[in-house]
Amino acid sequence: MDDIITTHRLTKTYGSRTVVDDLDLRVPRGSVYGFLGPNGSGKSTTMKMLLSLVRPSRGQIHLFGRPMNRDTRPDLLRKVGSLIEAPPGYAHLTGRENMAIVQRMLGLSDRQVSRAVSTVRLQEHMDKRVRAYSLGMKQRLGIAMALAREPRLLVLDEPTNGLDPAGIEEIRELLVSLAADGTTVMVSSHLLDEVDRMASVLGVLGRGRLIFQGTRAELFDRSLPDLVVDTPEPGRALALGVPAVRAERGIRLSGLDDEDTAALVRRLVEGGVPVYGVRRVQQTLEEVFMDLTGREGLV
Amino acid sequence: MPTALVLELRKMRRLRVGIVCAAMVAAVVALTCANLVSDTARSGFDDPADQPWESLLMGYVMVSAMTSPILVAVLASRQVDMEHQGQGWTLSRVAGFGPGLLCRAKVAALGLVLAVAVPAQTALIVMAGLAAGITVPPSPGMWAGYAVRLLLVDLALLCLHVWLAARVDNQLVGLATGMLGAFCGVFSLLMPPALARVLPWGYYAIISPLGMGEEGFLTVTPGYGWLAAFLVVVAVLFGVAGRRLDRREA
Ligand SMILES: Nc1ncnc2c1ncn2[C@@H]1O[C@H](COP(=O)(O)OP(=O)(O)O)[C@@H](O)[C@H]1O
Ligand SMILES: [Mg+2]
Repeated sequence: MDDIITTHRLTKTYGSRTVVDDLDLRVPRGSVYGFLGPNGSGKSTTMKMLLSLVRPSRGQIHLFGRPMNRDTRPDLLRKVGSLIEAPPGYAHLTGRENMAIVQRMLGLSDRQVSRAVSTVRLQEHMDKRVRAYSLGMKQRLGIAMALAREPRLLVLDEPTNGLDPAGIEEIRELLVSLAADGTTVMVSSHLLDEVDRMASVLGVLGRGRLIFQGTRAELFDRSLPDLVVDTPEPGRALALGVPAVRAERGIRLSGLDDEDTAALVRRLVEGGVPVYGVRRVQQTLEEVFMDLTGREGLV
Repeated sequence: MPTALVLELRKMRRLRVGIVCAAMVAAVVALTCANLVSDTARSGFDDPADQPWESLLMGYVMVSAMTSPILVAVLASRQVDMEHQGQGWTLSRVAGFGPGLLCRAKVAALGLVLAVAVPAQTALIVMAGLAAGITVPPSPGMWAGYAVRLLLVDLALLCLHVWLAARVDNQLVGLATGMLGAFCGVFSLLMPPALARVLPWGYYAIISPLGMGEEGFLTVTPGYGWLAAFLVVVAVLFGVAGRRLDRREA
């Protein structure tokens, strides 16, 4: 059993609206799992179900290979650190007092708390009130609270939301090093580039459905790069009615597989369009992502 | 002490709960004792027929009915709003402390504060009466009994306000309810008892050991039965409400 989280047909409906639809998640041990999807696609709802904050309408959840139910829940959740939607923290108390509350709540040792604080590098700000913290400091305090229990699994909902590039980079390094030490991390974002470089596995959600799950390389394989046809007479090609746009020295088409490509070339040649060359252009991951979510009619 | 209660006492730091309570106690004592300085009152300090202690206690009953609903609303809203603001509900829930437990612990923690404040203000008022020169002996049982019943009604309203503050994010709702309660509290002393019994704030009148008669103040038996019933109903409702909060989704 080497998946830390597995779900089977996990579903949540509110009234007649299905906001999480038949999810089969597989989060491998020791991975940083990037959970991607536009706003409103159901990421937070899914994570809340994993944490028993929201009851699934249907489906099962396994954590650490054990089914989650009424009896196993307290035991399973003890090994999960989490940060959902906004970072926690009592604004009128200092960072230290907030950590002391978490320590007492979970029965943790001083060593566990100070380790978590130094992991997020917040030692110098522990005597400041949380009210005076920057957003980045609040996020780090929230992560320290999640880390203090030395969890085997960390579930972080948009921890980079609103951070500047330096702050994002800091979180990225932190999560990558945690995963290297054996903690499995599931991290959500609606922005691909925020998780792209930290995630070893990606899950892409669109309208509550899992559109893609796998490695970055597999994601590229799944998508079809655009096709560019080099021709000195793009106007003539377009006049044939092919679904293309003008490109530099030719035309550009998207969504064509090998068969479609062969048919297109035949059609152009029969139409008397001089074809100098046909090539695929490599997309950026961003384009692949847009392509996937766009195909579901989301963007 | 249960962990949940310890946590609430720690969260209370820097909330100025002590200052808020001290200010309220000072206000209650000052308003109640304002009459002691008038000459007409002073002239009867050594005459039991002039009922100096009864007059002071009746003033205390009225002032409490007006101020307690506001104090309770303020304390509850301060102690609960931090959970809304600081994502405390979720933080606690994933640590196994459901919202119902949090609410019960908040009532207990604030109840401890009131259990200091109410006896203190009662003692201060009696001391002020003695210091002002009342030579008629006071009846300690009447004062102590009233203080205990006042604390019990405060605790019941605390349950109501903690639940309301947890259920409705906007704390202005709870504070406005407290203001309305202050108004009801004062008028409950003039209401027919049947109406006072159906209003939570009416119990500030029902616990009074004194009533107004033709010839001055009359000793009356407080509505013990009604008070007990009210406390039981509030306890049951608070228990059910806590379980419902636990079942709510985040
Ligand atoms: N308690 C709720 N009641 C009804 N609809 C909800 C509730 N919570 C979330 N939703 C809806 O579910 C959808 C997914 O929300 P969410 O999981 O927060 O998405 P994400 O985190 O990906 O932005 C949204 O359309 C949202 O409006
Ligand atoms: Mg979200």
